[in-house]
Amino acid sequence: MRLIIIRIENNSQSQIKMGKKRNKLKKITIYTIFLTFFANLSFGAEVNVFSARHYDSDIQLYKKFTKKTGIKVNVVSGKDKALQKRIMEEGEDSSADIYITADAGRLGAFDAKGMFQNSMTSAIKEAVPKNFRSTNWTGIAKRARIMYYSPERVNTNELNGMTYEGLADPKWKGRIVIRKSNNIYNQSLVASLVKNNGKKSTCEWSKGVVANMARDSKGNDRAQILAVAAGEADLAVANTYYLALMLSGQKGAEQQAAAKKVLPFFPNQDDRGTHMNISGGGVLRHAPNPENAKKLLEFLLTKEAQEHIVNNTFEYPMIEGVEPHDLVKQMGIGFKQDLNTKVVNYEKNQSIALECMLSARWK
Amino acid sequence: MISIYLRKINIWYLSSFLISIAVAIPIVTVFSSFFDSTSNYSDIIKNTFLYDYLINSFSLLIGVLFLTFIIGVSSAYLVSFYKFTGSNFFKWALILSFAVPAYIYAYSLTAFFENYGTAFTILKNLFGEGDYNSKIPKFDGMIGAIVAISFSLFGYVYVLTRASFHYQSQNLIELGKNLGFSKQKSFFKIILPSARPAIVAGLSLVAMETLSDFGSVSFFGISTLTTGIYNAWISFDDLTLANQLSFYLLIFILGLFVLENLSRKKAQYHSPTRGGFKKKSLTTLHGYKGLLAFSFCFLIFFISFLFPVLQMLYWTIIFPKHLIDLDLINLFSNTIILVLLSSIVLISFAFISNYGNRLSRSKFLEILTTFSISGYAIPGIILAVAFITFISWFDKNIVSFFDIKNIKPIFIGSILGLVIVYFIRFYSLASNGIKSGYLKISYSIDESAYLLGYSKFKTFKNIHIPYLKNSILLIGILISIEIIKELPITLIMRPFNFETFATQAYIYASQDLLEAAAAPSLFLILIASFFILITSRYILKD
Repeated sequence: MRLIIIRIENNSQSQIKMGKKRNKLKKITIYTIFLTFFANLSFGAEVNVFSARHYDSDIQLYKKFTKKTGIKVNVVSGKDKALQKRIMEEGEDSSADIYITADAGRLGAFDAKGMFQNSMTSAIKEAVPKNFRSTNWTGIAKRARIMYYSPERVNTNELNGMTYEGLADPKWKGRIVIRKSNNIYNQSLVASLVKNNGKKSTCEWSKGVVANMARDSKGNDRAQILAVAAGEADLAVANTYYLALMLSGQKGAEQQAAAKKVLPFFPNQDDRGTHMNISGGGVLRHAPNPENAKKLLEFLLTKEAQEHIVNNTFEYPMIEGVEPHDLVKQMGIGFKQDLNTKVVNYEKNQSIALECMLSARWK
Repeated sequence: MISIYLRKINIWYLSSFLISIAVAIPIVTVFSSFFDSTSNYSDIIKNTFLYDYLINSFSLLIGVLFLTFIIGVSSAYLVSFYKFTGSNFFKWALILSFAVPAYIYAYSLTAFFENYGTAFTILKNLFGEGDYNSKIPKFDGMIGAIVAISFSLFGYVYVLTRASFHYQSQNLIELGKNLGFSKQKSFFKIILPSARPAIVAGLSLVAMETLSDFGSVSFFGISTLTTGIYNAWISFDDLTLANQLSFYLLIFILGLFVLENLSRKKAQYHSPTRGGFKKKSLTTLHGYKGLLAFSFCFLIFFISFLFPVLQMLYWTIIFPKHLIDLDLINLFSNTIILVLLSSIVLISFAFISNYGNRLSRSKFLEILTTFSISGYAIPGIILAVAFITFISWFDKNIVSFFDIKNIKPIFIGSILGLVIVYFIRFYSLASNGIKSGYLKISYSIDESAYLLGYSKFKTFKNIHIPYLKNSILLIGILISIEIIKELPITLIMRPFNFETFATQAYIYASQDLLEAAAAPSLFLILIASFFILITSRYILKD
């Protein structure tokens, strides 16, 4: 709006008029400045959460925590990497206690930079299976990255014994949609392939997948599922909670109807199982309130909190004894999860995964 | 000799000097690390990405410039030379597009055109069930970004071109007629060329904003120089590479900045308001021609403003839950606090600096000021990260030396830090505004005041401030519009539990909750529109 400045050259008619009004304004201004600077100083027990998950339901959950323990939860939400950057720049003076994000690879990478401290307590160890935590961070909820197909255009024989590896099979030429290579969920999925099949084979596989794509990669996970519903492709790769979200009607009647046109398929059932990922968090190295932070993590893994999470975000619960949301159950719960490929190791292979995808011109 | 210099140095001079230095810090930070060595990542980026970044930035730029030129110039031409149904309405309605930030436009495009989106619903309700998805064009990726950015920025071209057309001499047009030029010929041979400086000025503003756009390109997942900088800096910790990319971008943008300034000077030169100026007689369009002109302008108004507003409104209505969940009081008060504090700080300092310049009449200071206002040309995201880098460096190397407790929490993640970075970004807006106001106050007025025994401060307080009251108000409002729409700085610098309409909308959208982003987006557009309507008579001053 800079250009407008050049046109305000005709303001000259003001009279020289001094009044009490201005003094009043000054006072108000000074008060405002004072209030703003001090409004953020609070006292008493608190825990500062840096979260890359922005669900309103998470905020409600934190409120429950405060009610229970009296510990106030302060939240900064933002893009994943920007938050990490800020925590690192602040260094020892960082006010952040917990960092919460989706994707195990991200947590691992942040841990590799030495940004977490030991977050384990006996309660967390007991609640979370070993595969879904490291010493410095823990999973809070699970999701699987699965396939969605059009029952009209894909017959069940074709899907028999289908694996992630099978996405490179030429019979899918022009029929597959999947997100861009910069997407972290894809990077973790491909990292698990690197871990299981090696770099060379995974790079070849990437080329096969790119050759099978129905279009250049674009859009989010939900857009991939909708592309199958709309007939743009026959098979999509996306996380589990997206379909449930659409089926719930929270995305409107149109998408609810569209979601019914696709069916979920859990790959690799005959070998290592379906690729799993987590959203999770850990206590930060320079946390000013590490004990409160651990309490919050423990709370997030209680039955009450887990039920709240699964019913709002449609993820799988992290602990035993909590049922997923009904819509998620309908998709299938008895499937074999890949528990051999540890989520802790995704981080190590993500850069190789990205290299493979990029060299295959995966957009 | 020295005593002359010393006499010049007073409190005004000093503060003016300090402000310029403060604003120049991020630019210096960016430039200073240009020659540092880079990490491995930069080799990968140079081999694979840099080419993509450049190509994408360039294609985006070309697309946007083309579209804004067509839309901006043609609509300005219609409302300046013709009278038709609604032509007076469109004069100001077309600038409402300033209220819609490109990223919100991007949300609307996606919401409307995606598979099973709003367009699908409309077709289904009109014609019954059917396979419409494949027939609906998809505005995403590069095309989406070009459309979103163009329709939110064409206002720059429109406003400047319209002003230029307005001041175009009737004699010139009559000359064309006398030479037997057809309407078409006189448009291409006379009207368009004489408005060229204004058009170039508008286009270079568009170009600057396009190159620094972050919200919409990141939403559509396009790798441009801006997202490249963000990734290098934030994802790969390669500050040096980020700074080097910023350096390229800055060179490009500063070039445009110079171009824009030159064109603007020419534009003033080319508007003969004295002597030959005769009020233009507008041609009235009747019948189908009038209808055509009306439809064209309405179409642009509809696409640029009504479409995003209606899409957001529609979503807010069918998903009322998100509106109820919205913490409106908090969002409003946060926005108001930011707007108030920043405008007060910006305007006061711009005043002091300009007054310092006026007093000292120092060439050096003037150059410094020009340098410091280039903050506007630097993408907000670069400013924010440069500021954090600078504070950490300062904290590590200087503050710790004096054994004072760390200063980072005071500047990072605080309202103070946020206001400082806004200050750097929008200082040119305030400074230019005050400066053009000051140009109207003759030096002889100051001198008379001194003769009457007024001190420098008293002259400033009793003469300059009242004299410039209107420009202050206007600048305040313009700063407010910018801050309400601002995204990357707020996102990175804001304190705990602190959201504005812009950050709230962005956060929902980045979480694939576009329908939840609708309500905050709608409020943002409405507030900005309100401010634009207040200022429209200045913007369109004839």
